[in-house]
Amino acid sequence: MLDKLRKEFGRLVAVNDLSVEVEDRSLVSFLGPSGCGKTTTLRMIAGLIRPTSGSIYFNDTLVNELKPQERKVGLVFQDYAIFPTMNAFDNIAFGLKVRGIPKNEIRKRVMEIAELLRIKDILEVTPGRMTQSELQSVAVARTLVTNPSVLLLDEPLSNLDAAFRVRMRAELKRLQREIAQTVIYVTHDQIEAMSMSDKIAVMNYGILHQYDTPYEIYNHPKTRFVASFIGSPPMNFIEGTFLEDNGGFVDIGVSRINVSKYGNMIKKESSSPEVTVGARPEDIEVFHKKESRDSIEVNVEVYEPMGDEAVVDVSIGGTLVRITTPITFSANPGEKKYVEFDTDKIHIIDRRTEKVIV
Amino acid sequence: MSEEVLEEKLGVIGWIVIVIGLILTLFPVFWIISTSIKPMGQWLTYPPVFIPEKIAVENYVNIFTGAALFTTFANVPVITHSIVDSAICSVFGTLFSIAIGILAAFGVSRHKLGGEFFPVFLLSARMAPPIAAVIPLLVLYSILGLVDTYQGLILAYACFTSPYSTWMIASFIDEVPVELEQSAQVDGLSTIESHFKVTLPLIKGGLVATSLFVFILNWSEFLLALCLTHGKIMTIPVQIRSFTVYSGILYGPQSAFGVIAIIPLIIFSLIIQKHLVRGLTFGAVKR
Amino acid sequence: MASIRFENVSKSFRRKKVLDDVSFEVKDKEFFCILGPPGAGKTTLFRLLAGVEKPDEGKIYIDGQVVNDVPPRYRDVSMLFETLALFPNKTGFENIAFPLRIRKMPEDQIKERVLTVARSLKIEHLLDREPRTFSGGERQRVALAKTIIRRPRVFLLDEPLSNIDALLRLNMRIELKRLASELGQTIMYSTHDQAEATSMGQRIAVIDKGVIHQIGIPSELYNHPVDKTAALFIGSPPMNFVECAYEEEGNKSYLRGPFQVDTTEYTRLIDENATSKELILGVRPEHIIVSKEPTSRKVAEGIITSFEPIGSKTIVHVKTREDVTITAVGLPWGDYSVGDKVWIDFEPDKFHIIDKKTDKVLA
Repeated sequence: MLDKLRKEFGRLVAVNDLSVEVEDRSLVSFLGPSGCGKTTTLRMIAGLIRPTSGSIYFNDTLVNELKPQERKVGLVFQDYAIFPTMNAFDNIAFGLKVRGIPKNEIRKRVMEIAELLRIKDILEVTPGRMTQSELQSVAVARTLVTNPSVLLLDEPLSNLDAAFRVRMRAELKRLQREIAQTVIYVTHDQIEAMSMSDKIAVMNYGILHQYDTPYEIYNHPKTRFVASFIGSPPMNFIEGTFLEDNGGFVDIGVSRINVSKYGNMIKKESSSPEVTVGARPEDIEVFHKKESRDSIEVNVEVYEPMGDEAVVDVSIGGTLVRITTPITFSANPGEKKYVEFDTDKIHIIDRRTEKVIV
Repeated sequence: MSEEVLEEKLGVIGWIVIVIGLILTLFPVFWIISTSIKPMGQWLTYPPVFIPEKIAVENYVNIFTGAALFTTFANVPVITHSIVDSAICSVFGTLFSIAIGILAAFGVSRHKLGGEFFPVFLLSARMAPPIAAVIPLLVLYSILGLVDTYQGLILAYACFTSPYSTWMIASFIDEVPVELEQSAQVDGLSTIESHFKVTLPLIKGGLVATSLFVFILNWSEFLLALCLTHGKIMTIPVQIRSFTVYSGILYGPQSAFGVIAIIPLIIFSLIIQKHLVRGLTFGAVKR
Repeated sequence: MASIRFENVSKSFRRKKVLDDVSFEVKDKEFFCILGPPGAGKTTLFRLLAGVEKPDEGKIYIDGQVVNDVPPRYRDVSMLFETLALFPNKTGFENIAFPLRIRKMPEDQIKERVLTVARSLKIEHLLDREPRTFSGGERQRVALAKTIIRRPRVFLLDEPLSNIDALLRLNMRIELKRLASELGQTIMYSTHDQAEATSMGQRIAVIDKGVIHQIGIPSELYNHPVDKTAALFIGSPPMNFVECAYEEEGNKSYLRGPFQVDTTEYTRLIDENATSKELILGVRPEHIIVSKEPTSRKVAEGIITSFEPIGSKTIVHVKTREDVTITAVGLPWGDYSVGDKVWIDFEPDKFHIIDKKTDKVLA
């Protein structure tokens, strides 16, 4: 089922001219920091808020005028909104009961969903006694049992602790695949969005920056914001000036980075020689000695072992750069080492327009 | 869109319900006001007169001057005395009630004094009809020499309303997370200091709301005032009875008295309304 | 000097035991992390230390002195509560100044200190506004300012970053570390996020259901967990646990299951310490290698059930023939599809043997 959304929302311009097409049976995430407009967008899809202008289509049908209950959407709130006085079964059955569906039909459907979500054994339990993940499963079950055309999830995992979150991510994804449900997912956690989505819509201050598959968003971000928001640890940014000699170099003060591969492109696309170099921590290599002409000398500031890898913060000139290396490389603060940027994975950003050129 | 639809549905039926409710609640007040400005002849007419053509100001004047009404062979009682007495007893009664309430509420809410069921127990004390306590109280008071004294009545008012004030203030204290006090304690305050310097300022609105509630209770309290005073002190509810004379009830002046009795309450409410709204919708400390 | 010691401390609420015979030591000026899921007892531990709760059993020492009966205000401890505990009716400035006001510090000194702290946390613009106008991250920083404005012997930070946006959390982590090294005091920090604990703590205590399972530096916990809980809590994605059957053939021993592991060098250890032949094999996802062709003997066969691309790597879930699900870390943007047949192997010597009954790690 297709949702083609085009919305503007006048007040505070919460959502600014957003156009997104969600494919049937896919999971799409709306990703962005708090206040970027993603929850507002979700509510417009659900029908709880009216868009100031623009239209929302479900399967080519205009749904702007339809009330939430007529739209056949399922909404799972951040705090689950489960009725505290009913047990799990009744909670899940609620939507069906309200619609006057016969009892045995209700029972059949609830059991089906409970089986799917693996919550069969807590159907008799009341919310007061459930764990967070059980509560969440019940909330999801409640919406799924009404067979919605679109399932809307508003930061459903933010209340869970880190370990649970990792587990529930896989669970939700498996579930979505199994029942071939169209899902729209709102979150501020980019790892969540990356790991689960077929496509991600990255938003900031009401504006859609990029709508693409995780691969594209990670490897080919279109704006500086997208580049900085996706990836953990986040991308490093070093400011510099583009120089044309010898094909192309970016002068970052204490040294230069060879970007001759992209020399022509930068010249053509950039509005000025003021650029920022973007490099992900895993795309920078550290060495104990100067390996080649392109090696840059740096000062180690922090060395943190993190299990199988180590995170090394180095200073290049005045900028702090974070690098991830295998644990086999060790260093101590204060030492001098050498780094090299993987020029295949590097990004060049026009400093004025904040658009990624390479 | 759904918001507007909701408004519509609420509109017709809701409005009717609201209007009916308003009429039922406000009619007695309206009647009293209307009676208070009717001349003697119209007090008891049938069909009832709702708005007299001529406003009988003498009703209001007489209750202050105690003028004699020839047709009834009686004097209209003077009310200044009772207004003063009511004021003293209600105000001080409320103050002491709140003071007791604050201390008890902290004990109950923060220190779980008296166990889990103590608040319920406290409130249940007020469920017994006060009339059962009046006789023993009167005996006790005569022994202590408190009958017909300001102290006596104020003490009674404070005690009888303290369950309410404790209960209400405790619920406001419960709204304030205990962690604010604990954090202040870690920073250097003693437990009691943390109660008064941290939580108390935050429930100002609640205290105001409670005071108003208790004040209204005291101001309109009849039974205790009737039994524990014998004339030297007379509160408004007691004096209202004295409008019954040999030939009947002086409704006009009595209604005028009633109107005057309501006025302080209205003024009080208006003055503290600002704090009242803030207090009840505080929005507390969000996580 | 500000060392901390908990000796056999237990605490129950309404007959439920929240802390069970907890003992540990924190050295002076150490950054000590308490890591555990919600409900493990972390907050209770802090509150006992701060003095707003009293232990049922055991002794608590600060600087070598027993403080069980010392009221909070004399313990010289500063605590950042999980709920932040900001006064809603006071401005940012007043909130931060509060601890100093209590100590009756002169006004101009207070002003100076508040401004310094506000500047270092970049919250000067919040000083004359009230908490309800702050965003989540701002409230966190104001609460933090309020906590560090004094110079107590010990700082207690109770899950200070748990309610913040993912991105802001990373930045705050860095800032907190910088602040911690600047302050140079003894700090105790609690969290449920193992990445946070590993990156920030000098030593970590893993706690679950009121019991401390292991205390050590991050690499120690990672490489040498003492039991299943400690192994589970450190490392993301969490370690895989595979049930195996233990067999001895002649002078060799093996673990049999989806993987065939030669455990001969640990035979003696196992014989001495295992309580039964039911053992669990523990392998971390990052040590598992996923390949499209079979390689060596240990190898298990399976099908990819799902995968999560998270940029720098891809998490792959494989279900083996024996119906066991293994999580592995694969190449970033590797060519994985659901239903692919793969062979999984793991790096030699990077596994743990766990006794199924006692949950203790044997090797």
